[in-house]
Amino acid sequence: MTNVPAIEVRGLTRVFESRKGFLFREVSRTEALRGLDLTVEPEAIFGLLGPNGAGKTTLVKILSTLLLPSTGTALVLGHDVVEESAWLRPRIGLVLGGERGLYNRINARDNLRYFADLYGIPPHEREHRIDEVLERVGLEGAADRRVEEYSRGMKQKLHIARGILHRPQVLFLDEPTIGLDPKSARETRKLVRSLVSDGVTIFLTTHYMFEAEELCPEIAVMSKGRIVARDTVAGLRQLVGGDRTLEAEAYGFEDREVDAIRHLPGVSKVVSEEYGPRTRLTVRLRSLETTPDQVVATLPGHPELAVRERRTSLEDVYLDLVEEEAP
Amino acid sequence: MATADVPHVSRVRATEASLRLAFQMFVADPQWLIPSMIAPVVFGLVAFELFQGAGPDFLTYAILGAGMMSMWGQTLYGSGWAIGQDREFGTLEPTVQSPTPYVYVVLGRVLWNVVSGLAGGGIVYLVVLAVAGAPPALPDPLGFVALFLFVMLTLAAVGILFSAAWVYTRYSGFIQNVGEFAFYVGTGCMFPVVILPFWTNPIALVFPPTWALDALRYLAIPGYVGFAWGFWPDLLGAVATTVVYVAVAGAIFRRVELHVLAKGNLSDY
Ligand SMILES: Nc1ncnc2c1ncn2[C@@H]1O[C@H](COP(=O)(O)OP(=O)(O)OP(=O)(O)O)[C@@H](O)[C@H]1O
Ligand SMILES: [Mg+2]
Repeated sequence: MTNVPAIEVRGLTRVFESRKGFLFREVSRTEALRGLDLTVEPEAIFGLLGPNGAGKTTLVKILSTLLLPSTGTALVLGHDVVEESAWLRPRIGLVLGGERGLYNRINARDNLRYFADLYGIPPHEREHRIDEVLERVGLEGAADRRVEEYSRGMKQKLHIARGILHRPQVLFLDEPTIGLDPKSARETRKLVRSLVSDGVTIFLTTHYMFEAEELCPEIAVMSKGRIVARDTVAGLRQLVGGDRTLEAEAYGFEDREVDAIRHLPGVSKVVSEEYGPRTRLTVRLRSLETTPDQVVATLPGHPELAVRERRTSLEDVYLDLVEEEAP
Repeated sequence: MATADVPHVSRVRATEASLRLAFQMFVADPQWLIPSMIAPVVFGLVAFELFQGAGPDFLTYAILGAGMMSMWGQTLYGSGWAIGQDREFGTLEPTVQSPTPYVYVVLGRVLWNVVSGLAGGGIVYLVVLAVAGAPPALPDPLGFVALFLFVMLTLAAVGILFSAAWVYTRYSGFIQNVGEFAFYVGTGCMFPVVILPFWTNPIALVFPPTWALDALRYLAIPGYVGFAWGFWPDLLGAVATTVVYVAVAGAIFRRVELHVLAKGNLSDY
């Protein structure tokens, strides 16, 4: 098992064609994946970050045999997701989450019994296994309630319970905390972390930088169907430059002021955003060549100037990466 | 903890699980009471009125006609509908993702529909019995029951093929409605096919239940005039067409699945 990457993707593309109209058919093509390469090592949590429409779900569905790629290859546990889907299906788990995907009119236990049988879990082990996963996700008290009575967070837990019921070697989690309140989201993250200690490889997609930062030693950032960065959290911070970020807010800056800041030594990036009557300059500082005081000194004549210094967050890095990709 | 080897999936148990789920969903949802329990009562009463005075075997005609009407809907419509529901619930994706080939899931759902269709047939029998005040004269009751079950299986075979359409696309309502209409007109659910215009016969012969039903009428009604070739060829035709349907279903499901995976419409509803 060692040496085989959990996931290996080469030149993966996926085009969706949708047709509109009846007589005059209009075909629209969406390139959801545009030549994607990615290798994920086993037995860790790997985080895939990207904005809406980046192609995260498309990739997850291809890797979990629910969608065929247009071109390119994808191997999971060294096996081709198209040619060897029958070998893969019992060995991987998929959690798409959300309100759909469960039988709402029956209870959680019956939902799990059904899938246990579809996964060939032996009858003598089934009930025990169901109790085990229900307890693991914290639904042991609600096992006999109809799923339609479940809150969003409970449904998410049930989705995860179903995903781990057959003890997969690779578990795909597509935005496991989306739509959850902070407390449920935290519980879910705790659960995800506990899974990896069992030796499961977890492939997790998320919009939330802090979630990736908290859970994933390694991260890939995806934008418009491509991986635009792939590194450790610390490495990603380095990738886009400095350690510190300065936010300066005032009632508008002149272009020459922004230019002056941009040309200070050690400034790697300046982004200007309007907030109603105020403008915020986000200044990324590489190393210690430029001090925050110098930045302030470059902006005289703004009595209302408010300056805040903070550590560059992964969020900043992420937004940079995704922005650079934008046309 | 992650296990290297995976359990062998028992197809029998997967089918059973699918049947069990269909039953649980049925119990949980009262809307099914109308087609499955009330419709047979209405069909029974209507058929009784319709066939009354149509000769000595009118009771058998009434039972067969009404029974088939209710079972036909239950088995065929129900089978397509079950898969349509999986689309609606978003459960088609996790089900296809499991190691069980989807055809066994369909088989379980269809078998449930056979069971509830049989219950519908039973209700029709009791209703006609109640209005007539006497049971119909059956020359060969055992053979009748056996053949009756066989008719159900031929219906199930058609149901499986309809289900494939539902896996294929969310627009199967159209296919199903057209298909059901052809089936309804063609197979002679309510009345023998031979009284239909000749051009409908080729359509009728495409459906396994046409053959099986004609055989059933030959068995149950002395002096019945159905297809000229008589009872045994009817039975043979029924078996042959059923085998073809099941074989096509077995071959088609993996293809349908690949088509759906290529198109990416598994979660549409
Ligand atoms: N079945 C489909 N038919 C047509 N287009 C699709 C289909 N599925 C996805 N797409 C398109 O492919 C692109 C990528 O979608 P995808 O769902 O993979 O993104 P995502 O990164 O998961 O986004 P989100 O964060 O919103 O979940 C989008 O432009 C989307 O509209
Ligand atoms: Mg998505």
